[in-house]
Amino acid sequence: MSNFSRTAQQWASFARSWFLIDARMQPPGKIASMCSVRLQGKHKPIYHAISDLGDHVVVINSRHIAFSGNKWEQKVYSSHTGYPGGFKQVTAAQLHQKDPKAIVKLAVYGMLPKNLHRRTMMQRLHIFPDDELPEDILANLTEELQQPREIPRKLNEYTQEEKDAFPRVWTPPEDYLLK
Amino acid sequence: MVFLTLPCWIRSRGPDRYWKVQELLKHARHFRGRKNRCYSLAVRAVRRAFVYATRGRTLKKRNMRKLWITRIAAASREHGMTYPALIHNLIKSSVQLNRKVISQLAITEPRTFLSLTKLARARQQEGLQAALGDGKEPPGVFSRIVVKQ
Repeated sequence: MSNFSRTAQQWASFARSWFLIDARMQPPGKIASMCSVRLQGKHKPIYHAISDLGDHVVVINSRHIAFSGNKWEQKVYSSHTGYPGGFKQVTAAQLHQKDPKAIVKLAVYGMLPKNLHRRTMMQRLHIFPDDELPEDILANLTEELQQPREIPRKLNEYTQEEKDAFPRVWTPPEDYLLK
Repeated sequence: MVFLTLPCWIRSRGPDRYWKVQELLKHARHFRGRKNRCYSLAVRAVRRAFVYATRGRTLKKRNMRKLWITRIAAASREHGMTYPALIHNLIKSSVQLNRKVISQLAITEPRTFLSLTKLARARQQEGLQAALGDGKEPPGVFSRIVVKQ
Protein backbone atom coordinates (compact mmCIF):
# COMPACT_ATOMS: atom_id res chain seq x y z
CA MET A 1 0.00 0.00 0.00
CA SER A 2 2.91 2.37 0.64
CA ASN A 3 4.21 2.08 -2.93
CA PHE A 4 0.88 3.13 -4.53
CA SER A 5 0.92 6.51 -6.20
CA ARG A 6 -1.48 9.10 -4.84
CA THR A 7 -3.95 8.69 -7.71
CA ALA A 8 -3.85 4.92 -7.40
CA GLN A 9 -4.45 5.11 -3.63
CA GLN A 10 -7.41 7.43 -4.11
CA TRP A 11 -8.85 5.22 -6.84
CA ALA A 12 -8.54 2.22 -4.53
CA SER A 13 -10.15 3.90 -1.54
CA PHE A 14 -13.13 5.23 -3.55
CA ALA A 15 -13.65 2.02 -5.49
CA ARG A 16 -17.15 0.50 -5.52
CA SER A 17 -17.43 -3.02 -4.08
CA TRP A 18 -20.15 -5.59 -4.70
CA PHE A 19 -21.70 -7.22 -1.63
CA LEU A 20 -23.74 -10.44 -1.59
CA ILE A 21 -26.51 -11.12 0.98
CA ASP A 22 -28.40 -14.40 1.21
CA ALA A 23 -31.95 -13.63 2.34
CA ARG A 24 -33.05 -17.24 2.95
CA MET A 25 -35.09 -17.44 6.21
CA GLN A 26 -34.16 -13.84 7.10
CA PRO A 27 -36.46 -10.98 8.17
CA PRO A 28 -36.69 -8.61 5.16
CA GLY A 29 -36.40 -5.51 7.38
CA LYS A 30 -33.00 -6.52 8.73
CA ILE A 31 -31.81 -7.40 5.21
CA ALA A 32 -33.07 -4.02 4.00
CA SER A 33 -31.29 -2.07 6.74
CA MET A 34 -27.98 -3.79 5.94
CA CYS A 35 -28.54 -3.03 2.24
CA SER A 36 -29.39 0.62 2.85
CA VAL A 37 -26.27 1.17 5.00
CA ARG A 38 -24.04 -0.15 2.24
CA LEU A 39 -25.89 1.56 -0.60
CA GLN A 40 -25.40 4.93 1.08
CA GLY A 41 -21.77 4.24 1.91
CA LYS A 42 -22.29 4.69 5.65
CA HIS A 43 -20.08 1.68 6.34
CA LYS A 44 -17.02 3.65 5.18
CA PRO A 45 -15.10 6.07 7.43
CA ILE A 46 -14.71 8.43 4.43
CA TYR A 47 -18.48 8.84 4.13
CA HIS A 48 -19.95 12.08 2.81
CA ALA A 49 -23.42 12.54 1.33
CA ILE A 50 -22.09 14.25 -1.82
CA SER A 51 -19.27 11.79 -2.47
CA ASP A 52 -21.38 9.05 -4.10
CA LEU A 53 -19.42 6.25 -2.50
CA GLY A 54 -22.22 3.73 -2.15
CA ASP A 55 -21.56 0.13 -3.11
CA HIS A 56 -23.55 -2.42 -5.08
CA VAL A 57 -25.57 -4.95 -3.09
CA VAL A 58 -26.87 -8.23 -4.52
CA VAL A 59 -29.67 -9.97 -2.58
CA ILE A 60 -30.36 -13.61 -3.45
CA ASN A 61 -33.17 -15.96 -2.39
CA SER A 62 -35.60 -13.11 -1.86
CA ARG A 63 -38.40 -15.58 -2.50
CA HIS A 64 -37.49 -17.32 0.80
CA ILE A 65 -37.60 -14.37 3.19
CA ALA A 66 -39.30 -14.94 6.53
CA PHE A 67 -41.49 -12.36 8.23
CA SER A 68 -41.87 -12.78 11.98
CA GLY A 69 -45.26 -12.89 13.65
CA ASN A 70 -48.41 -12.75 11.52
CA LYS A 71 -47.06 -10.14 9.11
CA TRP A 72 -47.66 -12.27 6.03
CA GLU A 73 -51.40 -11.80 6.62
CA GLN A 74 -51.45 -8.55 8.58
CA LYS A 75 -48.90 -6.30 6.83
CA VAL A 76 -50.60 -4.26 4.13
CA TYR A 77 -48.92 -2.61 1.16
CA SER A 78 -51.03 0.28 -0.16
CA SER A 79 -50.86 2.16 -3.43
CA HIS A 80 -53.06 4.43 -5.53
CA THR A 81 -53.23 4.32 -9.29
CA GLY A 82 -54.16 8.02 -9.50
CA TYR A 83 -57.62 7.32 -10.90
CA PRO A 84 -60.73 7.67 -8.69
CA GLY A 85 -61.47 4.45 -6.85
CA GLY A 86 -57.94 3.26 -7.53
CA PHE A 87 -56.81 2.76 -3.94
CA LYS A 88 -55.33 -0.74 -3.77
CA GLN A 89 -54.36 -2.60 -0.61
CA VAL A 90 -52.52 -5.88 -0.83
CA THR A 91 -51.32 -8.12 1.98
CA ALA A 92 -47.66 -9.09 2.13
CA ALA A 93 -48.49 -12.67 1.13
CA GLN A 94 -50.36 -11.58 -2.00
CA LEU A 95 -47.63 -9.13 -3.00
CA HIS A 96 -44.96 -11.79 -2.51
CA GLN A 97 -46.98 -14.19 -4.64
CA LYS A 98 -47.25 -11.64 -7.44
CA ASP A 99 -43.64 -10.42 -7.30
CA PRO A 100 -41.08 -12.09 -4.98
CA LYS A 101 -38.65 -9.15 -5.27
CA ALA A 102 -41.10 -6.41 -4.28
CA ILE A 103 -41.03 -6.75 -0.48
CA VAL A 104 -37.26 -6.35 -0.19
CA LYS A 105 -37.27 -3.60 -2.81
CA LEU A 106 -39.96 -1.57 -1.02
CA ALA A 107 -38.26 -2.09 2.33
CA VAL A 108 -34.92 -0.78 1.05
CA TYR A 109 -36.63 2.10 -0.79
CA GLY A 110 -38.24 3.20 2.46
CA MET A 111 -34.98 3.04 4.41
CA LEU A 112 -32.90 5.13 2.03
CA PRO A 113 -32.76 8.94 2.54
CA LYS A 114 -35.62 10.66 0.76
CA ASN A 115 -33.59 12.70 -1.72
CA LEU A 116 -32.59 12.55 -5.37
CA HIS A 117 -29.77 10.09 -4.65
CA ARG A 118 -32.31 7.45 -3.68
CA ARG A 119 -33.09 6.40 -7.25
CA THR A 120 -29.40 6.05 -8.08
CA MET A 121 -28.88 3.92 -4.98
CA MET A 122 -31.84 1.71 -5.91
CA GLN A 123 -30.26 1.16 -9.32
CA ARG A 124 -27.23 -0.25 -7.48
CA LEU A 125 -29.40 -2.76 -5.60
CA HIS A 126 -29.84 -6.10 -7.40
CA ILE A 127 -32.45 -8.52 -6.06
CA PHE A 128 -32.84 -12.08 -7.30
CA PRO A 129 -35.68 -14.33 -6.16
CA ASP A 130 -33.58 -17.50 -6.33
CA ASP A 131 -30.00 -18.69 -6.20
CA GLU A 132 -29.19 -18.11 -9.88
CA LEU A 133 -27.10 -15.07 -10.72
CA PRO A 134 -26.11 -13.85 -14.16
CA GLU A 135 -22.43 -14.34 -14.97
CA ASP A 136 -21.46 -10.68 -15.09
CA ILE A 137 -22.83 -10.01 -11.60
CA LEU A 138 -21.27 -13.23 -10.28
CA ALA A 139 -17.92 -12.06 -11.64
CA ASN A 140 -18.19 -8.70 -9.85
CA LEU A 141 -18.95 -9.93 -6.32
CA THR A 142 -16.29 -9.10 -3.75
CA GLU A 143 -17.68 -9.92 -0.32
CA GLU A 144 -20.48 -11.94 1.23
CA LEU A 145 -22.13 -10.48 4.33
CA GLN A 146 -23.13 -12.50 7.35
CA GLN A 147 -26.84 -13.19 7.70
CA PRO A 148 -28.48 -11.08 10.44
CA ARG A 149 -30.57 -13.90 11.88
CA GLU A 150 -29.28 -17.29 12.92
CA ILE A 151 -31.56 -19.86 11.28
CA PRO A 152 -32.97 -22.18 13.99
CA ARG A 153 -32.75 -25.88 13.20
CA LYS A 154 -35.88 -27.93 12.74
CA LEU A 155 -36.50 -30.86 15.07
CA ASN A 156 -35.76 -33.40 12.32
CA GLU A 157 -32.33 -31.75 11.77
CA TYR A 158 -31.14 -32.65 15.28
CA THR A 159 -29.40 -36.01 15.65
CA GLN A 160 -30.80 -38.57 18.09
CA GLU A 161 -27.69 -38.18 20.30
CA GLU A 162 -28.33 -34.43 20.62
CA LYS A 163 -31.98 -35.06 21.43
CA ASP A 164 -31.02 -37.56 24.14
CA ALA A 165 -28.30 -35.30 25.54
CA PHE A 166 -30.71 -32.35 25.86
CA PRO A 167 -31.42 -31.71 29.58
CA ARG A 168 -34.89 -32.69 30.80
CA VAL A 169 -36.74 -30.71 33.45
CA TRP A 170 -38.66 -33.73 34.72
CA THR A 171 -39.01 -37.39 33.74
CA PRO A 172 -42.61 -38.59 33.35
CA PRO A 173 -43.70 -41.78 35.15
CA GLU A 174 -44.23 -44.95 33.06
CA ASP A 175 -47.99 -44.74 32.89
CA TYR A 176 -48.04 -41.08 31.87
CA LEU A 177 -49.78 -40.50 28.52
CA LEU A 178 -47.46 -38.57 26.15
CA LYS A 179 -49.04 -37.42 22.93
CA MET B 1 -31.25 87.07 6.84
CA VAL B 2 -32.77 83.58 7.03
CA PHE B 3 -29.54 81.56 7.45
CA LEU B 4 -28.03 83.01 10.62
CA THR B 5 -25.20 80.45 11.43
CA LEU B 6 -22.47 79.07 9.13
CA PRO B 7 -23.63 75.36 9.19
CA CYS B 8 -26.96 76.44 7.70
CA TRP B 9 -25.23 78.06 4.65
CA ILE B 10 -23.62 74.69 3.55
CA ARG B 11 -25.77 73.04 0.83
CA SER B 12 -23.63 69.93 0.15
CA ARG B 13 -25.27 66.64 1.31
CA GLY B 14 -21.98 65.03 2.33
CA PRO B 15 -18.80 64.30 0.40
CA ASP B 16 -18.48 60.52 0.85
CA ARG B 17 -21.68 58.92 -0.50
CA TYR B 18 -19.68 57.17 -3.26
CA TRP B 19 -17.51 55.30 -0.78
CA LYS B 20 -20.43 54.33 1.43
CA VAL B 21 -22.25 52.87 -1.59
CA GLN B 22 -19.13 51.04 -2.76
CA GLU B 23 -18.68 49.52 0.71
CA LEU B 24 -22.04 47.82 0.31
CA LEU B 25 -21.78 46.97 -3.38
CA LYS B 26 -18.45 45.18 -2.87
CA HIS B 27 -20.41 42.47 -0.99
CA ALA B 28 -22.83 42.14 -3.93
CA ARG B 29 -20.43 41.99 -6.87
CA HIS B 30 -20.86 38.22 -7.39
CA PHE B 31 -24.69 38.35 -7.43
CA ARG B 32 -26.85 37.78 -10.46
CA GLY B 33 -28.84 40.47 -12.24
CA ARG B 34 -29.24 44.11 -11.23
CA LYS B 35 -28.65 43.28 -7.58
CA ASN B 36 -24.90 43.51 -8.23
CA ARG B 37 -25.09 47.10 -9.58
CA CYS B 38 -28.09 48.99 -8.24
CA TYR B 39 -27.88 50.17 -4.66
CA SER B 40 -31.54 49.79 -3.62
CA LEU B 41 -31.74 46.22 -4.89
CA ALA B 42 -28.30 45.40 -3.55
CA VAL B 43 -29.14 46.58 -0.02
CA ARG B 44 -31.92 44.01 0.28
CA ALA B 45 -29.89 41.21 -1.32
CA VAL B 46 -26.83 41.85 0.82
CA ARG B 47 -28.86 41.90 4.01
CA ARG B 48 -30.38 38.49 3.08
CA ALA B 49 -26.96 37.16 2.22
CA PHE B 50 -25.61 38.18 5.63
CA VAL B 51 -28.59 36.58 7.38
CA TYR B 52 -28.02 33.32 5.52
CA ALA B 53 -24.31 33.47 6.32
CA THR B 54 -24.99 33.88 10.04
CA ARG B 55 -27.46 31.01 10.02
CA GLY B 56 -24.99 28.89 8.06
CA ARG B 57 -22.23 29.46 10.61
CA THR B 58 -24.33 27.88 13.39
CA LEU B 59 -25.52 25.06 11.10
CA LYS B 60 -21.96 24.30 9.98
CA LYS B 61 -20.93 23.39 13.51
CA ARG B 62 -23.89 21.04 13.87
CA ASN B 63 -23.41 19.42 10.45
CA MET B 64 -19.68 18.88 10.93
CA ARG B 65 -20.27 17.15 14.27
CA LYS B 66 -22.93 14.93 12.70
CA LEU B 67 -20.51 13.98 9.92
CA TRP B 68 -17.75 13.17 12.41
CA ILE B 69 -20.12 10.98 14.40
CA THR B 70 -21.26 9.11 11.25
CA ARG B 71 -17.65 8.50 10.25
CA ILE B 72 -16.62 7.30 13.71
CA ALA B 73 -19.66 4.99 13.82
CA ALA B 74 -18.74 3.50 10.42
CA ALA B 75 -15.11 2.96 11.42
CA SER B 76 -15.97 1.45 14.79
CA ARG B 77 -18.46 -0.94 13.20
CA GLU B 78 -15.65 -2.14 10.97
CA HIS B 79 -13.94 -3.23 14.18
CA GLY B 80 -17.02 -4.80 15.73
CA MET B 81 -18.02 -2.01 18.13
CA THR B 82 -20.84 0.53 18.14
CA TYR B 83 -20.34 4.29 18.32
CA PRO B 84 -22.03 4.83 21.74
CA ALA B 85 -20.03 1.98 23.29
CA LEU B 86 -16.78 3.38 21.89
CA ILE B 87 -17.37 6.96 23.05
CA HIS B 88 -18.68 5.98 26.49
CA ASN B 89 -15.74 3.70 27.18
CA LEU B 90 -13.21 6.22 25.90
CA ILE B 91 -14.70 8.83 28.24
CA LYS B 92 -14.58 6.34 31.11
CA SER B 93 -10.92 5.71 30.32
CA SER B 94 -10.41 9.54 30.42
CA VAL B 95 -9.35 9.72 26.77
CA GLN B 96 -10.40 13.29 26.02
CA LEU B 97 -10.16 13.19 22.22
CA ASN B 98 -12.98 15.04 20.50
CA ARG B 99 -15.01 13.63 17.63
CA LYS B 100 -13.14 15.70 15.04
CA VAL B 101 -9.79 14.17 15.95
CA ILE B 102 -11.14 10.62 16.30
CA SER B 103 -12.78 10.81 12.85
CA GLN B 104 -9.54 12.07 11.30
CA LEU B 105 -7.60 9.28 13.01
CA ALA B 106 -10.13 6.76 11.67
CA ILE B 107 -9.41 7.95 8.12
CA THR B 108 -5.69 8.64 8.11
CA GLU B 109 -4.36 6.57 11.05
CA PRO B 110 -6.26 3.24 10.98
CA ARG B 111 -3.95 1.43 13.39
CA THR B 112 -4.24 4.18 15.99
CA PHE B 113 -8.01 3.94 15.69
CA LEU B 114 -7.83 0.17 16.09
CA SER B 115 -5.85 0.62 19.29
CA LEU B 116 -8.50 3.06 20.55
CA THR B 117 -11.22 0.47 19.86
CA LYS B 118 -9.20 -2.16 21.73
CA LEU B 119 -8.81 0.18 24.68
CA ALA B 120 -12.54 0.89 24.72
CA ARG B 121 -13.33 -2.82 24.42
CA ALA B 122 -11.03 -3.63 27.35
CA ARG B 123 -12.67 -0.92 29.47
CA GLN B 124 -16.12 -2.17 28.46
CA GLN B 125 -15.31 -5.71 29.52
CA GLU B 126 -13.43 -4.70 32.67
CA GLY B 127 -16.32 -5.64 34.94
CA LEU B 128 -16.88 -8.97 33.21
CA GLN B 129 -13.18 -9.84 33.21
CA ALA B 130 -12.90 -8.92 36.88
CA ALA B 131 -15.82 -11.25 37.68
CA LEU B 132 -14.93 -14.12 35.36
CA GLY B 133 -11.29 -13.71 34.40
CA ASP B 134 -8.14 -14.63 36.27
CA GLY B 135 -7.27 -11.18 37.61
CA LYS B 136 -4.64 -10.52 34.93
CA GLU B 137 -4.48 -7.32 32.88
CA PRO B 138 -5.79 -7.66 29.31
CA PRO B 139 -2.74 -7.99 27.02
CA GLY B 140 -1.72 -5.00 24.99
CA VAL B 141 -3.77 -2.43 26.89
CA PHE B 142 -2.01 0.30 28.86
CA SER B 143 -3.86 0.78 32.14
CA ARG B 144 -3.39 2.77 35.35
CA ILE B 145 -2.11 -0.28 37.24
CA VAL B 146 0.68 -0.66 34.67
CA VAL B 147 1.44 3.07 35.01
CA LYS B 148 1.67 2.86 38.80
CA GLN B 149 4.18 0.06 38.52
